[in-house]
Amino acid sequence: MKPVEKVEYTPVSVRETLILMKDISELMIDLAYSAALFNNRALAEEVMELEKRMDTLVYVLNMNLMLAARDREDAETLAGVAKVGSLTNNISDAAADIAGIVLNNIGIHPIVREVFQRTEEHLARIEVKENSIIAGKTVEELDLAAEIGADIIAIRRGKHWMINPEKEIILPEDVLMARGTASGLEKLEKAARGEAGNLG
Amino acid sequence: MAEGRDTGRFERICNDLVELKDTSELMMDLAYSALLLNSRELAEEVRMLEEKVDRLHTEFELLVLSSCVKPEDARGLLGLIRMGVVTEQIADAAAEIAEVVLRGEEPHPVLRMVIKDADETVERAVVSEDSPLVGKTLKEARIPEETGMWVLVIRRGDRWMRPRPGTRIQAGDVIIASGYADGEEDFRKLIGCGS
Repeated sequence: MKPVEKVEYTPVSVRETLILMKDISELMIDLAYSAALFNNRALAEEVMELEKRMDTLVYVLNMNLMLAARDREDAETLAGVAKVGSLTNNISDAAADIAGIVLNNIGIHPIVREVFQRTEEHLARIEVKENSIIAGKTVEELDLAAEIGADIIAIRRGKHWMINPEKEIILPEDVLMARGTASGLEKLEKAARGEAGNLG
Repeated sequence: MAEGRDTGRFERICNDLVELKDTSELMMDLAYSALLLNSRELAEEVRMLEEKVDRLHTEFELLVLSSCVKPEDARGLLGLIRMGVVTEQIADAAAEIAEVVLRGEEPHPVLRMVIKDADETVERAVVSEDSPLVGKTLKEARIPEETGMWVLVIRRGDRWMRPRPGTRIQAGDVIIASGYADGEEDFRKLIGCGS
């Protein structure tokens, strides 16, 4: 078993942390369903990465809540916030369980998968190569939804996650989580690999 | 023959799973909105949805279990059951978030610190027979443009629908929207009685 990391106290805004946790849990659910329904191991592994991030955030959130309580009234009010934090963590655990269906080789019945592949939107995990035309551009200026019918829903840079990116500049070695039509994602993948000179 | 029955059953399993998945995601959305907007009304909707998910989930499990399981299908069906369990867990968590909102006195002191914008509010209105919106799609209805309110969910009987541009509005639909308090009256007028 891997060693568990110690989480150190850092002062954070409770409101922003809670909203970040909400965004992460939603991203995890999207990625996890897609991983299961399209039997995509790479996506399932990203869900597990996000789960680790979430565990750290819950600790940090609770530390901040504890230090914020000065009296009885504070304790009563902050308990509600702590509860929401732990529920958000439950949701992310649920997403990790879906990813587990793929990672433990249980799988989803092929007939059901087939139906989903016809109806559901596709998600993909895409690595950006050095010579890609999308490197150095912001998500916003690429305007992928209009150009090719795909959208970048998150960027992972090493251990750092950017969710719903807009102004972020895409760098080589970034890992993109993208949503879109099968053909749109294929185009994006080609461009990210540096195999296409334009997005079209 | 047997093959035809199989396909039909799998189609029903898929439909149920899609509905469970969509409903649980909608509940999450609504629960966090209830929290961030401190809206008891939205929190109540989440609780209603929770009952619906419990029902759906039982039906789904029965359906999966009543498939004649061939040994080679067992794994794939187990995956489906696990996925169903997860949608139920998500729905439960959303319902509990809604409970945190409902437990609070108004205005809720716990949530003031996470509240998005004090001026923002949630409105719920029933589409009347003579509303100009009846028969229009959401895109045609131009609710955000006319009222500044953003549609969160449409309830039709015991169905909750995520707003999509092509969703056609019917009389009796309950439209739930959020936005700035000054759009409230325009919203009620547009949905409720027209003119």
